[in-house]
This record gives sequence, C-alpha cells and structure tokens, in this order.
Amino acid sequence: MHPQPNAPDPKRFEVSRATLWFDRFMGWAIRFGGIGVIIAVFGIFYFIGKEVVPLFRAADVEPAGKLEAPAAATGVLGIDEWGELPFFYQAGGPVAFRPVAGGDGFELEVPGLEGAEVTATAYDPVHRRVALGLADGRVGSFLVEYARSHGDDAEVSAKVTPEPWFPLKSGAGPVTAVSYGDSGGGRIIVAKRGAGPDATTTVLRLAMKRGLIGAGKLTALGEVEITTELGAEPLILRASQNGSMVLAACANGEIDYFLANGAEVTKRQSFSPFDGEVPRQMDYLFGGVSIIVTGPGGEQEQWSLFRESEDAERMFGLTQTFPPLGDGDVLFAASQRNRTFLTGAGGHLSIRHSTSGKTRWEGEAEIAPAAAVLDGKGEHFLVVSASGEARRYSVEDPHPEAGWKAFFGKVWYEGGSGPVYQWQSTGGSDDFEPKLSLMPLIFGSLKGTAYALLFSVPVALLAAVFSAAFLPLSVKRIVKPTMEIMSSLPSVVLGFLAGLWLAPILETRVPSVMAMLIAVPASALVMGFAWCRLPIRFRNRFANGSEWMMVVPVLALAGWLGWQAGPLIESIFFVYQDPATGREIADFRLWWPQATGLSFEQRNSLVLGFMMGFAVIPVIFTIAEDALSNVPKSLTAASSALGANRWQVVWTVMLPVASSGIFSALMIGFGRAVGETMIMVMATGNTPVTEWNIFNGMRTLSANIAVELPEAPVGSTHYRTLFLGAVVLFLMTFVMNTVAEVLRQRLREKNKIV
Amino acid sequence: MPAQATSTDAASRPDFIQVDQFSFHYGPKQALFDIHMDIPEHQVTALIGPSGCGKSTLLRNLNRMNDLIEGVRHEGDIRIGGTSLYDPSVEVISLRKRVGMVFQKYNPFAKSIYENVVFSLRVAGRGRKTELDETVERALTDAALWDEVKDRLHDSAFGLSGGQQQRLCIARAIANQPEILLMDEPCAALDPLATLRIEDLIIGLKQRYTIVIVTHNMEQATRCSDRTAFLYMGKLVEYGPTLAMFERPKEPQTEAYITGRFS
Repeated sequence: MHPQPNAPDPKRFEVSRATLWFDRFMGWAIRFGGIGVIIAVFGIFYFIGKEVVPLFRAADVEPAGKLEAPAAATGVLGIDEWGELPFFYQAGGPVAFRPVAGGDGFELEVPGLEGAEVTATAYDPVHRRVALGLADGRVGSFLVEYARSHGDDAEVSAKVTPEPWFPLKSGAGPVTAVSYGDSGGGRIIVAKRGAGPDATTTVLRLAMKRGLIGAGKLTALGEVEITTELGAEPLILRASQNGSMVLAACANGEIDYFLANGAEVTKRQSFSPFDGEVPRQMDYLFGGVSIIVTGPGGEQEQWSLFRESEDAERMFGLTQTFPPLGDGDVLFAASQRNRTFLTGAGGHLSIRHSTSGKTRWEGEAEIAPAAAVLDGKGEHFLVVSASGEARRYSVEDPHPEAGWKAFFGKVWYEGGSGPVYQWQSTGGSDDFEPKLSLMPLIFGSLKGTAYALLFSVPVALLAAVFSAAFLPLSVKRIVKPTMEIMSSLPSVVLGFLAGLWLAPILETRVPSVMAMLIAVPASALVMGFAWCRLPIRFRNRFANGSEWMMVVPVLALAGWLGWQAGPLIESIFFVYQDPATGREIADFRLWWPQATGLSFEQRNSLVLGFMMGFAVIPVIFTIAEDALSNVPKSLTAASSALGANRWQVVWTVMLPVASSGIFSALMIGFGRAVGETMIMVMATGNTPVTEWNIFNGMRTLSANIAVELPEAPVGSTHYRTLFLGAVVLFLMTFVMNTVAEVLRQRLREKNKIV
Repeated sequence: MPAQATSTDAASRPDFIQVDQFSFHYGPKQALFDIHMDIPEHQVTALIGPSGCGKSTLLRNLNRMNDLIEGVRHEGDIRIGGTSLYDPSVEVISLRKRVGMVFQKYNPFAKSIYENVVFSLRVAGRGRKTELDETVERALTDAALWDEVKDRLHDSAFGLSGGQQQRLCIARAIANQPEILLMDEPCAALDPLATLRIEDLIIGLKQRYTIVIVTHNMEQATRCSDRTAFLYMGKLVEYGPTLAMFERPKEPQTEAYITGRFS
C-alpha cells in the first residue's frame, strides 16, 4: 500500500526518542535534587534537635536493686566512686561492706578502736573519711579506701585505714559532735564535748608534717576553744571539706560562721535563717561555699558566701529557696560533681539543683529511708532504712544545670552578689560551676550586628544611590565590579587585618577617627551647598555625573585633615588627669574610662564596625544598586521631564519603587552580619559583656560556637548548649527574615508598577 | 479634514521653536543630520517617518532629555522663543518645566491620581493646598479626565484604564502649564477609541500649548496636526502644512512613505 500523497506523515509530529528520554531523566534528576534538599534540611534540624532536646529533660530515676544492710544502720553510709560497694558503719561496730551486685558482704574492724566508746560520727564523702569522737574526749578518724582491679570482671576491694587520735585538752565529758575538714596540708577537727549549757566546742588544727622518707606524720598544731563565741549550745557542727571554715548551728537558731585561717579561728558572721528556730539540717554543697539548711517547718534554703559589694568581706546570704520538705528526719546527700543534692523527709525524696532552685526529680522511696548517699559520678544513690533495708536507684540526669532559666534568665550563681546573665562555660577547678546564660551572647550578636550595620548601611545605601543615579555609566562599570570583588574577600583575612593591623592603629587614633567621621560627611554637605551657590554658567560647563571628580579630592582632603587633627583634638578635649599624681595626659584611652566609667579595649566595636563594613557593604551595595538601576527608565524619564532634579528623581521615584529591593539588600546584609564569625572571633576580644559601649568588644553566638565547640566534650551540657546557641542564632535570623519578608511584600504591593 | 486643523492662531509666532542646522550623535552614531525647521506657536506639529528615522531623537532634544544619555553630542542649535537651549545660562530643570512631555507608554507613578498630577508642582516646591487642588481640577479638566476621576482622586493611578492613564500623564505634563508639550507616540499603546479621545484632546490643547507630536499613524497626523515634518534616515525630507503635504507631497520619498510603500 502506498500512502496517500496528501496524508500527513505521522512521523513528522513525533518527538524524538532522545528528547523524551532526556526530558524524563531531567525530570527525575530535578525531583531527586529537590527532595534531597528538603531531606537534608530536615536532617540538619533533626540532628540539632537531637543534641539540644536532652538539655530540657528532667532527671530519670529508676530502682536498681535492693540489698540487706546490717540491722539498725543509722550511722554512716558511704559508697565507692563506682557505686558498687557501699559500706555501713554503726558507732563502735565494724565497717560492713555490701556489694550491690548481690552476694555476701564482708566486715572490717576499725584498728585501734578496741575498747573505746564511739559517741559521735561524721562522714566526709569526698575523702571518704569517717570522723569519730570518743567518750574519753579523743577525736580521730579512719579512711575507707577503695581500689578497683582492671579487666573484664573488675572487682572493687576496700580497706579501712585508721588515722591518729588526738585527745582534746579543753572541755570535759564525751565528744558529742565532730566534723573534719581537710585541705591536704592543713586540717581541722571541730568537736563538741558534753551537752547542754556546759558543752564546750573546740577547733583542733592539724598539719601533715612531711618527713624526708615515707609518709608524713599528722600532728596537732593547737586547739582553739570557741565556746564563748557561740550564741548558744551548738547542735550541728560542720567543718568545710577544705578545712577553711566552721559552721555551728546553735540552740538559739543562730548559725555562727568561723573562718579558720592559719592559727586563728575568727568568728565572721552570725545569721539566723529561721527566726530563732533551730535548723533541722545543715550541710555543705559541693565546692564548700554554700550550705543547704532545712528549717523546722521543712522550708529549705541555700545560703552562700558572697561579697555584698566589691570591698566587703565574704558573708553568708540567702540565695535560693526550695519547696518545703515534709515531716520526719531530713535526709541529705550532696553530689560530688555538681550542685545537685538528694534530700527528703518522711519517705519522700527529691533531687534538687541548688543554682537553678529546680527539683530535678521527686518520688516516694519504697522504704522509710534513714540515710542516703550519692555515688561519686552521681549515677546512683542508695537509701537505707532504720531496719537495715537498703534500696539502690539509678539516676540519669546529665544536665542538671541546664534549663530555660539557666539559658535565658538571670541566675544567682554561687559566689556572685546577685542574679546575673553570665556566660562562663569552663573554669579552672573541679568545683567550677558552668554559667551558661545565652543572653550575653545574644546581646553580643545584636551588638556586633548593630555596630556593623551602623557603619555599613549608610555608606552602602548612599553609595548605591550615587552609583545608580549620579555616576556616569563609564565610571559605574569600574566601581560596581570592584565592590563585588570586595565581597569575596575571605573574612578570616579581614578578621586578621582587623585584629592585628587596624585595632592597634585605631587604638591610638580614636580622636582622629571621630574627626574624620565628622569632617568627611560635613565636607560633602558644604561642597554641595557651595556648588548650588555657583552661577549656572559655571555649573553648566560640567556634564551631569562628572561631579565625582571634584568631590573625591575634597573628601580625601577632609579625611586627611580629620586624621591629622586627631592629636590636636585629643590634647584639647580628651585630657586625662592621673588621680594619684595629678599629671595631665592627653590620651583618649585613659580619658574614656575616667569620663564615662566604661572600659576601653583595643579590640572594640569601632574596629569591628569598620572591618565588618568590608564584608557587609558590598552585599548591600550590590543588591541595592541593582534594585535602583532596575527602576524603569520610563518612570525616571517621566520624573525628569516634569522638572525634577536628580535628587528629586531619586527621592520621589527611584527609592519608592526600589524600596522592596533595598529592603532585601538590608536583610541580606543583616544576615551576613549576624552570621559572620571569623571577623567577630578575631576583632572583638570575645568577652561576653552586656553593655553597648563602643570601645569594648562582645562575644557573639557564632564566634562562641567557633571558639568553644572544639573544646566541648561531645554530649556534655556545654556541647549541647553550643548547639542551643546555634538554634537561637537560627531563630533570630529566621524571625528577622520572616518579619522583613512580610514588610517587603507590603512595600512591594504599595509601590508596584503595573 | 477637520476645520480646526488648518486654522492658525493670529497671535502665534511662526518661528517659536527654531531648529537650526541641528545634528546629533549618540557616541559614534549620527542620528540627526542638519535639521532645520521652525515650529510655530499654538499649533500641532507632527513628526513622521519610519522607525529609526530620528523623529523621537529630535523630539527628545527639544527638552534636552537626551542629555541623560552618556556620550551624546550635538552641532547646531535649538532655540525656543529666541533663547538657545544650550545657552550656558540655561538650567535644564527650568527648561523642562517650560517643555512638558508625554511618553509612548503611559507611565504614571505608583501614587494616587492626585499626587501624579501635582508631581511637577511638588518638585518645584509649590505645595499650597488650594493651589494644588485648583491645579488638579484644571489639569484633569483640560485632559478630559476630571469627570471620570473626580470622585477617586486619592485612589492609585493604576486603577485607571490605559487610555485614562495616558490622559492622566497628559494632565500631569500640563499641570505646571508649560509652553510646549512634546508627545512621543502618545497613542501607540492605546485602542482606537482611546486614541480618538486623545486626538480630540490634542486639538483642544493647542489653544494653549505648542504641541509637537511624534506619530507612526498617518491618519493621526492628518486628523490632528497643522504641520507635518517627514524625517528619513536622520534627515528632514519635507516639512509643510499637513494638508498640503499629504495631498501633494513634493518629495518622492514622502509620497512613498505616506502612500504606504515603506514604513
């Protein structure tokens, strides 16, 4: 069959197979790419969320077995740092060890105690020392020392090491209360003899005398009787773990604070937390500068040593109150790693964090607990009832110091004189408490951004207007790509220049900078005014747009004059008078703190503003210039044809039409400034201050992450808090951008061109 | 031909605008060659010619709008009322206040109708409320738009139809009462009905303004202009009364163009 000559050839209308294949392939490739991006973004959210969410979890406490303690174990309860082999000590008896894994325990006698009657005990969980007071007036102690074998079936073994006995010279009768403080070299024992109004209280100072060979010998240095300085008979005596102070809660409700310093024991303070009523419990927290006291009605308070003002002595003051406890004997066990403690009364237990005042966990114990102890890592605690039943619980609370209040609220940290926003994530000592308020960092980010934009927005926008409306095309063709190249300068180079080159120069020439900042814009205004006053015949000789050739030298001259005038201005206006000698020095760096009370740092917001300008100006300039240049020629021409001068064209037509584009430029500049890291790290000094002072620095969220993340242990509170900082940074830019986008759409709607 | 198209105002100066041996260059490209013509006052003068012949360039030189382009230069002179546009004492801003302009594509600002009309007064620093109100009513009445928009003066100009927007642009151009009104293909973007209204308007406006209009539309030239200039390749080929030129073109090129043999 021959096809009909006029019939259309269907092949001509077919799309080639290659085109179809390619189309299908590209369709899938683009789909894959798009979905991949969405998955990646959600993956990032998931990862960050996974790191941040545990910060806000409460403690998780689970029962972890039971064991039989010796009956009536109401004395001392202690545990090793792995939480495997607790011991029970009842005055006069042997030290009974009971493995938590089950199985039989063992008992060890305390050597040298044969025949002595123990009348007072106290336990220091840090040194694992049991202090003893005897009926014959002697005081002493023994240590419970644990060792752990290595290998798969590691076993914990224990031994009991006695320490020397010291007879107390002063007072009479049995020792009725004892407490032991140990700073390593110097130690104190505070002890009370007798009871009632005749009781005497003595501080015994000890020292470890190191011999040439072998261990040192512990010898008594002297006794100081403090009975007369006490308000009444002491009911609770507590020497701090480092042996530097003694607290005595007396029968008249007063707590007396004695400072043990060398040979002297001086009374520093007397305070009464519960209006004359005797506290039911008083114990030190980890670190030994705070105590937790429980009042007769169950009210629990934290009192800490702090300075009221800078030159005051450190005194105890109320810094935190906790929810009241119920009736019954008060249990207390402080953590040995952070500011949490286990407390409770009448079978109800709670884990509390002192700094935040928060209850991390609370619950009922399965037994009526008479004593409690937390292991060294804070992963388990053990409670024991008067009848010898013991229960072990596991504690999962890795981030007790975290929480909304710690991150965003004012917190009264130990040793501080009031609630503050403070960021100080790491410290020198083991008992350092991390201060994790993000507020100084958020403030730093805002301050850095504000100063960066303060310098760059006016310059960038005016430059964009000048380039779009005043500059001849031939010059613009050079200026614009140059600005765009500027934006590709690596910020680490800018930061390096800012910190090591610009900062030292600006440090000594602040008055020069101020003079330039005034002289340069002023000269432009004066020049514009003078130009208008020139006769039209003269002005007509210059083509529109060629003014820059006259303006640039004038601006350069004004800048130079301002720079040169700096020292003169400094010698007139910024003269510092040395308060000691009365000598006058013309130095802005000294004048500023004296005149304003604010600090002057070499790496400050001024340096930052300048250098950030190099990063931010090109971004804002380029986008704003595009927006202004894209204003339809028909509108600018119409405006010119109606007799508007160039400035009026800009003001009445170009700016309104370009406003949404300019707004975008500002937002992108803002985003660049908020997220900028290297310049912030290198040029700002990274001090988390919260003041707007232009002559000191800041610590921004982004710089903080860059500086600290390498040092933060994975999974620690610090590590997770840095991630939280990232979330906050993201939310800040997200909120700002959303608001800006809504405003931008409004502007666009208002000025849209049909 | 309408009667008024041929009538001449007695008080009009026949050489109100003098284009004197005027040549114009965009950089290396010469756009106008030795144009020499006198444009009479209170008449409508049409500039016709094929695309790229230089008619718009000539029009835009009458208020020095071409100065906004970089790299332009000129020879010869243009005088309005005897004063050279290029006299060193002439301020371009005030020249443009004397010579208003209406563009091919209507281009109102993103403002209200009212603000569009008073724009030229505002940039001239004249902002008295009563003066502005009077100006708006007069200019819109002159542009035959008043009755249509008087109730919504403060609405956006973009709410108007295309023809209304172009009449608004005319009102805007005459608000400041210029002497000369330049129109660069004012009906190019409009439908025939709107075009007719604009043409009526042009005829009415010439009582008070000297109008120079660029048009591609031969009928438009015959309908509303008194004199017509035919430009071709940057040169003025023929210039004379519209009626005479369309009935008896002197030059063969003119005849070819107006009879539609090339465009």
